[in-house]
Amino acid sequence: MRMRVVNHPVLGNLPERNRVTIYFNNQPFQAYEGDTIASAMMAEGIKTLRNHEESGNGRGIYCNIGHCFECRVQVGERKVVRACLTPVSEGMDIYSLSVFKKGSESHC
Amino acid sequence: MSDEKTIICRCEEVSLKTINDTVYQYSCSSREVKLRTRAGMGYCGGRTCRHVIDTIVADLNQKVITDDIQLSYRPPVRPITFGALGGVYHENESC
Amino acid sequence: MLNLLIIGAGPAGLKAAIAAAEQGLNVKVIDEFPKVGGRLLGQLHQEPNGEWWNGMEMGEKLHQKAIRAGVDIQCEVSVVDISQSVSGWTVYTSQGMIEARKLLLATGATETPIPIPGWTLPGVMSIGAAQVMGNVHRVKPGNTCVIIGANVLSMAIANELRLCGIKVKEIVLPAVGPISKDAGIPEKVLASLMKLTHLAPTVILRQAGKLGKFINPSFAIKYFPRRGIKLFGIPIRLKTAAVEIMGEDHVTGVQTVTISSDGKVIPGSEKVTEADFVCIAGGLAPMSELASIVGCSFKYVQELGGHVPVHNERMQTNVPNLFVAGNITGVESAKVAMAQGKVAGLAIASEWKGKRQEIELALTTAMEEVRKTRAEALIQFQPGISEARDTVYHQFTLDELRMKQEVSVS
Repeated sequence: MRMRVVNHPVLGNLPERNRVTIYFNNQPFQAYEGDTIASAMMAEGIKTLRNHEESGNGRGIYCNIGHCFECRVQVGERKVVRACLTPVSEGMDIYSLSVFKKGSESHC
Repeated sequence: MSDEKTIICRCEEVSLKTINDTVYQYSCSSREVKLRTRAGMGYCGGRTCRHVIDTIVADLNQKVITDDIQLSYRPPVRPITFGALGGVYHENESC
Repeated sequence: MLNLLIIGAGPAGLKAAIAAAEQGLNVKVIDEFPKVGGRLLGQLHQEPNGEWWNGMEMGEKLHQKAIRAGVDIQCEVSVVDISQSVSGWTVYTSQGMIEARKLLLATGATETPIPIPGWTLPGVMSIGAAQVMGNVHRVKPGNTCVIIGANVLSMAIANELRLCGIKVKEIVLPAVGPISKDAGIPEKVLASLMKLTHLAPTVILRQAGKLGKFINPSFAIKYFPRRGIKLFGIPIRLKTAAVEIMGEDHVTGVQTVTISSDGKVIPGSEKVTEADFVCIAGGLAPMSELASIVGCSFKYVQELGGHVPVHNERMQTNVPNLFVAGNITGVESAKVAMAQGKVAGLAIASEWKGKRQEIELALTTAMEEVRKTRAEALIQFQPGISEARDTVYHQFTLDELRMKQEVSVS
C-alpha cells in the first residue's frame, strides 16, 4: 500500500477493491482489481520492468498510455504485453524481458 | 558536450551524436537518418522520437519542417501476431 | 456492417458517438486503454470560478450517456491497419476485424519528449504518465520529483501531483540546445507563459499575465529571481536548467546549472537536486499515424502541435467517409475536443441521411459552439489557434478544388 494515494483532497478516498496476487519474476505481489501491471508494480516501488535487449539497460514506464512500448513485459509462457495497458488478474505470471542471448533466434 | 550520452531513440538506443554525425556526413533527410541509424525504426514505430528527429535534422540542414510527413508510417502500426492479422484472434502483441 | 466506427474513446470520440447515435446511426467506439475517457482521465484543475474540472467524472458521464444512446464501446483494442474498399472501411485490430461504412479518427495527441542524458532510466516518465499514475491509478510514482519543462501543462500537473501527496521539488527548464529550442531559453519561456497566463489554471499565473501586458518579458526575466517563484509551494525555476538525470539503476536526482536570461550556463553553478522520479514535459503533438496510413494529406502547423490531417470545419478529411476530431486535428483543451466531436458526429449523421435540414441546422450550431469554446478556453497550449485553424480549412478547400480539376481534366 505504500505508494497508493488512499486519501485525496479533491478526488476523495480510494474505494474498496478486491485484492489479487500477481507474480513478477516469480515473486508474489499484492495488487487490486482495476490495476494495470504498471500501476501494480509502481505501487510496490518496482520501477524496472525490463532490460534493453542489447545494452541491458533498465527500463520502466515512460508514457503510461501505450505509445512508447517501453513497459512491455511477458505474461505467461509467451505473450508480450504493454504493462501500462494490461489489467492484472488473480495469479497472473509476469516476467521481465531481458538481453537477447547470443545465438538464440528469437526473443519469445 | 553530452551528445553521446543523450539517447534520442529509446528503442534502438541511438544517440544525438550518431544522428548529428550522420547528418554532417551525408547531409540527409530524417528518412535517410532513420535508415542509416535505425533511429525511429524500433518497437514503438518511432512514435516517441519522430518529432525530435525531424526537429534535429531540420535544424542541422537549416530547413523548415514541410507539410509532408518525412518519417512515414507503415502498417502494422502496432506489433501484431500473424494470426491476428489473418483475422484469427491471438492475445499476443508481439512476434 | 457498422454505420460508424470511432477510434478513440476520449472526449472527442465519445461526444461524436453520442451525437451520431442520437441521430439513429449504429456506432461502435474502440480504444487501446482499459478505461474509457482518453485524455480526460487524469485531468483535474481549478476553473477561474473556483470549481474543479474533474476529467474522470466528465469521462464517466459521457461514457454512461453513450451507453444510453446505444453506442457499443470496447476497450483494450489496438488498431493495427486500416483499408478502404467500395463498401466501406476494414479496420484490423488486436481483437480481429471490424467493418464500417464511415470512420472517425479521434486518436488524440502524443507527448513529445525532450531527450536529456539519463532519460531512459527507470523512474523518468512523461508528465502525462505521472498524471495518469497519480489521478487515475491512484499510485504515486515516487515521493519526490523534479519536472523538466515549464509550460501550462506541466504547471497544472505539478499541482495535481502535489494533491496526490508528492513533493514536487522544482520545475526547471531543459538545457538549451537544438532539441529544446525556445523551451530552454528563460526569456522565451517567460514570454510564452505571460502570453497564455490570462487563461492559466492558477490565480498567480493569471496575475503574471496581466502584468505581461505592461512589462516586456525580456525586461521581466532580468528580475526573475534565481531561486524561482513559488506556485502552491512548488518552486518554478526559469533560470535553472537540467543537464543530466542521475542514477545507476533508477533515478536518484537531477543535475542542474544556473542559466542566464538567454540560456547560457553560469560556470560553477552545478547542483544536484535529489528526487526519486523525474517528469519530462515537452508538449503535445497530434497522433497522425492512422490518418497517414489511410492516405490523408497533411499540413504542418506549429501552433497546432505539428502535422495535422487536412480537414474542413465539418471535420471532414479529403478521404471520402473519413472524419477527424479532437487533438488529432490540433492540440487544444478537452472542452474544444468535445465540441469538435459533436460536430463530427452530426456531420457524419448528416452525410448518412442526405443532408437533412434539421441536422444541418444542429451542425451549424455545433460549429459555432467550437469557435465559442475555443475563444473561452482555459488552457490554450499555443497562441494563434484560430488563425492556424483557418489555414487548415483553407488547405482543404484548395485540395478539394484541385481534385475536382483533376477529375474534370481526366
